[in-house]
Formats: sequence, C-alpha cells, structure tokens
Amino acid sequence: MARSTVRTEITGKVWKVTATAGQSLAEDDPIVILESMKMEIPVPAPVACKVIEVLVAEGDAVTEGDVIAHIEG
Amino acid sequence: MAFDRQREEFEARRQRALAMGSSRRLAERKAAGILNARERVDSLLDAGSFIEAGLLATSARPDMRDKSPADGVVSGFGRIDGRHVGVNAADFTTLGSSSAEIHGKKQHYVRETSRRNGMPLVNLMECAGGRIPDIMGAAGIGRAGEGSRYTHPRTHPWAAAVLGLTYGGGAFTCINSDFVVMRKGAVLAVSSSNVTSVAIAEDMDPEALGGWRLHSEVTGFVDSVVDSDGEAIAQVRAFLSYMPDNASLPPPASATFEEAPGARALDTLVPESRAKVYDIRNVIRAIADRDTVFPLKERFAKVAVTALGRIRGRTVGFIASNPMFKGGALDPDACDKITSFIVLCDSFNIPLVFLADTPGFLVGAESEKRRLPGKIMNFMAALEMSTVPKIALVLRKSYGQAYLNMGGGKADVTATWFSGDISFMDPAVAVNVVHGVKPGEQPEQYGRLLEEVSAGTTAYELAAPFMAQMVIDPNQTRDFLAGMLEVLSRRMTNGIGEHRLSAWPPAF
Repeated sequence: MARSTVRTEITGKVWKVTATAGQSLAEDDPIVILESMKMEIPVPAPVACKVIEVLVAEGDAVTEGDVIAHIEG
Repeated sequence: MAFDRQREEFEARRQRALAMGSSRRLAERKAAGILNARERVDSLLDAGSFIEAGLLATSARPDMRDKSPADGVVSGFGRIDGRHVGVNAADFTTLGSSSAEIHGKKQHYVRETSRRNGMPLVNLMECAGGRIPDIMGAAGIGRAGEGSRYTHPRTHPWAAAVLGLTYGGGAFTCINSDFVVMRKGAVLAVSSSNVTSVAIAEDMDPEALGGWRLHSEVTGFVDSVVDSDGEAIAQVRAFLSYMPDNASLPPPASATFEEAPGARALDTLVPESRAKVYDIRNVIRAIADRDTVFPLKERFAKVAVTALGRIRGRTVGFIASNPMFKGGALDPDACDKITSFIVLCDSFNIPLVFLADTPGFLVGAESEKRRLPGKIMNFMAALEMSTVPKIALVLRKSYGQAYLNMGGGKADVTATWFSGDISFMDPAVAVNVVHGVKPGEQPEQYGRLLEEVSAGTTAYELAAPFMAQMVIDPNQTRDFLAGMLEVLSRRMTNGIGEHRLSAWPPAF
C-alpha cells in the first residue's frame, strides 16, 4: 500500500473535519469540508484508503495546494 | 492470359507495401496487444470501404525506396456508418512513421481532398518526429515548411487518436484536431526524451514528458483517455456521430431516442441549500436522451463540464459549472476548456446549452497569476462572436461576471429554475462587503440585511424586468430545452451559423 498526500484544490477555511486517523475511506469520501466562495466544498479521498493523519483543524485557513492529510491506499 | 507478367509484378509490389515495416516490430506489437496501422484502419472503417492512396509511394531518397513501404503512413478514404471520411494512419513499423517529404505529401493529399469534398478527417497518429537525415540541413528544414499542413480551417471536423510515441509533426496534427483521444501508454510531445536529454540536459521518463495524465489533467490537450487501440477508435467514431460531415451542414439527428431515467425528477439530484454541492453530470445525463452524453476533457478543469449529447435526437453541446469541484467557481483552466468547446460547437452548427450553478469566477492571487481576466475575456469573446443557438439556464445561483459568461442575457434565451438566485455577488458576501456587517459580530443586523439583499436576487426579480424570458420548474427542464431548441433551429439558414470563430487558435 502506497502512502500519499491529499491536497486542497481551492483556498478557503476548514469548516468541518469529517475523517480521523485510522479510519478507512472509500474513494470520494470527504476527509475535510472547506468553506470557500460561500460553498461547503469537500476534499475527497482520491482513492479507497486508510487515513494516517489529518493535518488541519476546524477554522484553519488553507491555500490551494496545501497538504491536508496523509493516506495509505 | 493477358497482362500476366504485369499483374504478377503489380501484386508483388502491392504485397510488399501491404506487409508494412519490419516483421519483428509487427510481431512485438501484436504480442503487446497494439494494433498495426492497417488493423487500425480496418477497425475504423466500414468493412470493404477503404480506398487507399499512395500504397506504392515510397521515400523520396532513392537509397531508401525498398525500406519505406507507403512511406510510413496508410492514407485514403472510406466510410464510417456509411458516411465518407479521409484517414491518415501512421505506420510506426516503417521508419517510425517519421515526418518526411512523401510521407507529408500523402497526408496533405488526404487532408485537402477531405476538405474540398466536405468530409471529416481522421488522424491515427504515432510519429518518431522528423526523419533523419531527410530533414537535416537548411534544405531539409526548409522543405518541411512548404504547403499548408499546419492550418485547420474548421470547415470539416478532424478527429485524432494518439496511439504511441507521437512527436513533432504527429503531435502537431493532433493539437490541430477538433477531438483527441489518447491511449494510456502513448506519448505526445514536441520532441522525444532522447532529444530533450541532449538539448536541455533533462533526463525524463517519456510518460512524464507527454503521457496521458499530463495531457488529460494538466495541459487539457486530450479530450478522452482510453486503455486500448480498439477503444480509441470507438471514441473517434462516437465523436464523429455528433458531427456534421462539414461546416455547411447541420449535425446529424438521431431518429430514435429515449428519455433518461430521472428526466422528470431533477429536483432530487440538486440539494435545495445553495451551499451544498452535487455532481452536475448527473443532471446533464438526466436531461439528455438516454446514454447520449459524450464528455470532452472530463479530467481537465473539472469545475467546468463540456459534453456533447442529444435532446430529442438533436445534437447539443452542454456547458455547465460543476459545484462538486471547487464549489462550481470557474477558474482559468475552466475558461480555456469552455472557450475551446464554444469554438468547436459554433464551427459545426451545434446549439449550446449553458447550465449555471456557480458562486462566480474563482477569485484570488492564484487565479490572477494564471491570467483569469484574460481567460474570462477570451471566453466572452467566443460567446459573443458565436452564432449558434444558445440557451442559458440558471439552476440555483449565478453571480457576477460568471452569470454573463454563462450566457445570462447573452444567449438567445435566458431562463432560470424557480430556485435561481442572481446577483453581482452572493447575498451573504454582499452584506459583509456592502454594509460591513459580519454574521458573528452583529447577528441580528446581519440577518435583517441578508433578508433585504436576498429579496432582490430571486428568479422573479430577473423575470419581472424580462431579463429572464422564462422561469421554470426543475422537472420541466428537458421539455423546456427541447421546445426552445426547436424554436431556435435557424430555419432561415437551415441551421448553419456564420462561423466567425473558425480561425480561432487551435490550442490554449
């Protein structure tokens, strides 16, 4: 199982963290939900995976391309 | 029998040419599951319809005549579902299908004959680049520039498949095409990694230099990615099924069609809360005739969806913002993607349907760095110069310049779902920007102002001054579009536009 990183594709604020370390996710399951452009925008798991670490907390500001989680899968 | 000796020689020459290049290379391809040029032509065209041009052509260099069957390209004319096309299929087993004088002359002949006779051109490409030594020296490169090989006037559709290592002239032919499908494992680049390693001391894996991920996700040059030669050829045929033979004809209509499941339940696909995301592709699939949606550049700039499809048998082009990605906020790549799609549809008389659910253009430093204002204006120029029928529909919201770019007030008809919210900006942002009131600090005043501002942004506020010609129920969308497409069918010109975008640059 390859380790990889998940990055944001939009600048905004972390509204909710929906996944925790150790959790198994299906492809497209949200890891965090950002608030940007007055929208709730999920950052989804790119593949079916296990979450190793979520690097952001609710209220954090993120910029396009920031790493928000490490996953394995 | 008469002509015996001559017929024997003719057959021997034909068989030598039909055998293509080295038998070792042909066997290697077969083992790898990759079709050779003649198998590709056979699988593209209706059985028995191929008329070959230049089977007995060879390299212009006398010493290479015996080593250059058909000079590395299988060219000619045939039919797809009964309709005529021209085809140039690279034979990589012959000198890497490299660019050289006769090789180019043959392709030019098919290209020009297809143009003059108004039929699509199919380019099945692989190319090692310029042939050495033919192209070396001043006379070599000088000769390569002769003729009009680099211009595609969009008078007839070009479809291309990238089916192997495709450098130089082969790559440029693909870039100039209206549709490009790429097989995984193929490479499209200006020059091979051999050349780049010497020219700029950069050692590179060909896949990183010009593989399917790069071209489907980053450059956007490729419209579709597939796993096999057979699938690539099926995609070429499918693309052409939406296209007219040439720009002076309307696109072919399908006599039979079926309503898609969910066509009358669009309100179940779209959340009522404007802040919630959903996948607009499900909406497009529900509006269009069942199984007719053909997305282009699906992996590139996902916030914009550009797809061919049919409504009650008629070909249409869908342009939509997708809230699933970046909340539907259109970024610079999305502008490029939409612009190129407007150019395609306008060139071939395909009406456009805009579906807007967007918080606006994606503002911010990154977008400005990537030329957002310029991209928005290119998009707008293409929209305003296009002469195909255009229908703009707002689903839940459409704000700012993006409302105009998505056809608001610019299309032949502007309409909105009853859920539409239309303004210069989101009411929640407006309260903050215009009145300087934040929800956390003055909640009561914020709530009151939000209500005030929101009252001016409803579907009915667009309908009252007749800036939207219709307000519709989401579940009436398909009937509304079908009805208006009939009204806007341009009977005076038989559905043919002015094609003012035909000279638009081929790439972005």
